[in-house]
Amino acid sequence: MFDEDDFQEEIRAHLEIAAAEREADGADPRSARLSSLKDFGNVSLTAEAARRVWIPRWIDAVLDQLRDARYAVRTLAKNPVFSLAVIAVLALGVGANTMVFTMLKSMALAPLSGIASSAQLGVVVNAASRTRTGGLSYHDYQFVRDHDRAFNGLAASGLTSANFGRGRGARPMYCELVSGNYFQVLGIRAERGRTFLPSDEIAPGRHPYAVLNDGFWRRDLAADPDILGKTIDINNFPLTIVGVADPSFHGTIVGYDTEVFVPLMMAPQLGVNVGSLEHTTTSDIFADRGAGVFDVLGRLRPGVTFANAGAQVDALSIALFQDAALADVGQHLRLVHIWESPFGGQTFLLPGLLVLGAMGLLVLGIACANIAGLVLVRGISRRGELAVRLALGATRARIVRLLVVENLVLAIPGAVLGMVLASYGLPLLVRSAEAMAAPQRLFFNVPLDRSLMAFAAFVALGSALAFGFVPALQSSRVDLVEAINEDASPRGASRGRLRAWLVVAQVAVSSILLVGAGLATRSVDAARRIYPGFDAGHTTAIEIDVRSNGYSDARGRVFYRRLLDALRGETGIESVTLASTTPLNLVGTREARVAIDGYAPRRDEDLSFQVNTIGPDYFRTLRIPLAAGRGFDDRDDENGRPVVVINRTFAERFWSGAAAAVGQRVKVGAGDWRTVVGVASDVKYSQVNEAPMPFIYMPFFQSYRANMIVHARGAAPVNVVVDQARERIAAIDPDLAFIHARPLDEATRGATVLFEFLSTMLLAFGTAGMVLAGMGTYGLVSYAARQSTHEIGIRMALGASAASVVRAFVARGLRLGAVGAAIGLFVAFAGARLLQGSLFGVSPADTVSYARALAIVIGGVALATLVPAWRAARTNPLRALRHQ
Amino acid sequence: MTLHTRDARPDLLPGTLDMLILRTLQWGPQHGYAIGQTIRAQSSEVLQVEAGSLYPALQRLSKKGWVTAKWGQTDANQRAKFYRLTIEGKQQLLREQSRWTELVDAIARIMTPAGEPETER
Repeated sequence: MFDEDDFQEEIRAHLEIAAAEREADGADPRSARLSSLKDFGNVSLTAEAARRVWIPRWIDAVLDQLRDARYAVRTLAKNPVFSLAVIAVLALGVGANTMVFTMLKSMALAPLSGIASSAQLGVVVNAASRTRTGGLSYHDYQFVRDHDRAFNGLAASGLTSANFGRGRGARPMYCELVSGNYFQVLGIRAERGRTFLPSDEIAPGRHPYAVLNDGFWRRDLAADPDILGKTIDINNFPLTIVGVADPSFHGTIVGYDTEVFVPLMMAPQLGVNVGSLEHTTTSDIFADRGAGVFDVLGRLRPGVTFANAGAQVDALSIALFQDAALADVGQHLRLVHIWESPFGGQTFLLPGLLVLGAMGLLVLGIACANIAGLVLVRGISRRGELAVRLALGATRARIVRLLVVENLVLAIPGAVLGMVLASYGLPLLVRSAEAMAAPQRLFFNVPLDRSLMAFAAFVALGSALAFGFVPALQSSRVDLVEAINEDASPRGASRGRLRAWLVVAQVAVSSILLVGAGLATRSVDAARRIYPGFDAGHTTAIEIDVRSNGYSDARGRVFYRRLLDALRGETGIESVTLASTTPLNLVGTREARVAIDGYAPRRDEDLSFQVNTIGPDYFRTLRIPLAAGRGFDDRDDENGRPVVVINRTFAERFWSGAAAAVGQRVKVGAGDWRTVVGVASDVKYSQVNEAPMPFIYMPFFQSYRANMIVHARGAAPVNVVVDQARERIAAIDPDLAFIHARPLDEATRGATVLFEFLSTMLLAFGTAGMVLAGMGTYGLVSYAARQSTHEIGIRMALGASAASVVRAFVARGLRLGAVGAAIGLFVAFAGARLLQGSLFGVSPADTVSYARALAIVIGGVALATLVPAWRAARTNPLRALRHQ
Repeated sequence: MTLHTRDARPDLLPGTLDMLILRTLQWGPQHGYAIGQTIRAQSSEVLQVEAGSLYPALQRLSKKGWVTAKWGQTDANQRAKFYRLTIEGKQQLLREQSRWTELVDAIARIMTPAGEPETER
């Protein structure tokens, strides 16, 4: 090894011997010593070289890089605000992109956990119209399963919410009603026991078995090793456990964590609310061809392309609907990818994620533009330094490397911070989604795996390198003589052109972000001001399901009547009602096909609308104004005339208005003709930014459901009202299970949270990108102006007035700014349609947002040119000339 | 290159300095200053070895195990670090010597092809 002290000692000995020799030749001691030192040369360089002999080559290379990095850090630290801003925005861009792409991956590339290449699964849907698709009825499923030749089997599954356990201890969970071949088609093995077989799909009610999800088995059944053969109660029906599925499997509905799988033949026994309006307590679900409740999916046979399989499904569809004379036309089956499936979380998450992804890419783009600008500007201002380096024998490669290392110094912290952001942000996002769904369980297949970390690193480093490399090359192309003589014009033609393009690009990207941020702010503003059409304050949303106590329909009706009477009698409760769904429920609710007396639907016209089943006093309790007629009251029961209430949009679409609609007749689903007795004002049914849509209210006592939400309004703080109502309900049946007992505004939060989340992200991206873009633009433009100090000096020396010089420079800057702004606004206008889904109360072509963006950008450019030009013009021409 | 001829043309072949040092040590252990002086004297003052090249070269040779170093006294009774050729160093010197001879012969054949009178101008 290298011994530092020993080496110093050796050098000292060398010097002494050399000095002694010179003294012996007659020199005086002092000059002997000096001349031997002079002959030796640079002592510390020699020691350095000797030391390096012992250092392995690769370490040497690393140390070299570190030296570069240290130098880069020092240089960047001179401009801390800009450097930190670049790092922060890079981190934001990388973090957001990683999160968004993880989510997108979970929705589109690997949507289902536990199934190999689940993105390749095909889903057969019933396309009632161009935009709206749904599941298949059992009859239709059987037909395609038996006639299909393109798939290795087609499985069917229907997602439903069911209660596990009995009475008070019951808890809601997601349950899939599955076909006998389900597990075989998907290739899921059993961890314990068996999965289902085609023999588990013979006759209704004959297969009381359950396959459990591994998580459910561990959490709720304490991983009981003797679980097989035991029974669990699902909706009060005992099912024998025959197996536990593979731990990685969470069902086939994206975003939902299915805890129990039951043969679909048991649907009547479980009394599930699936499908069309006339709820299913009988074996209707197998006979009713309108009950399109099944998600039908399968894996393509080897060698069959997706298009090929799609054509086969189309052919089957024609055969299917030809031999069955169906009342409603316009139905046909279609093959779609799993991310286009009408079932699952991707239906409402995907559009928002795409917007976020686009914004994330934009922010990343602007970070890249800034890095490029940074490198270029510094390259130009360091021409002197670089020229000296070149003169001292540094190669161009060496200088490019130095500049690239500087980019890495920005990129690496950006990438790391971005990954940290993503790894904290994603679980946070998932957890908040889960909290909204509790006690039911969600499952997103979003492991932050190595491939996504690699993606983040690649994005950050790639952008830093790609966007730093070209300017670095440019900077390294220094003309030695010109640079060292220092009197040449700084406006080298190619450098100037690149700089101009950078300014244009900066301004363009800033404009896009400004428009995006502007639209987001205006839409958040509008959303805050909007009244959703109902008053969620001081109102409860207590959800119960009397099936958990084994109530028959008749007993259920009696129970709900007693419940309403009891709560009406409570002091402090102003009004009370029932509803099968809350407004603003994010995902929408069940739809029913509708026939309208005297209206002949066009061929292919889709007459399916969302339905809410409600009790008396509903509109009064939720403070929804009636446009005409009346709401339901106690007369509208099983003995009364069949009635219905519609919303204003419905009335305006089919009749001349609200007043004209009252008294008309409508048939909902397969039921009787119903008379319209009232028209209610529109509310926001599922999302804040939804378009107006026809909506139907059915009277509870003419359309019984076991699972209802109790809305009670009281003047006291809402939690007091919730507790009071809850206790009163529990007094009627102490064993009743509560699915939720919460304020209504908490229940509707899901819809607003998602919207606010999207808008906030948009705003954050927009603002961050905007600040950075502004700084970058200012930096570039003002730098360019500063470079022209020399020119300003000449002009003024030739007699130009300060004002005219400044004018000329600002005009030059504005020309570039205008080109950039024009490009930016054009792109923003073209891209804003993407935002449509997450905007509210603002058109994507909102003039105010565009005007504001234009004003800010042009103002920024003007300021960035004006300040340096004015400063240059005010200086003495002679000094400006000498400046170079 | 690190080895300088007097007319400051630094284009000696790589590895030549190492070979010269090994050669110098063939006659017995020497300290760094003496190695430099010896090379200079034996080349009739044409080759001047700078300390900045000499000492890293000595470290290189130590690392390869071709020389070992030991502190001792000079004839003038001064302390100095003496380098000695190891067995491997001797073998290496032989290899370098034959390689060098081949190289010089080859270059000589190019520079003065047979039959060409040496002094014709």
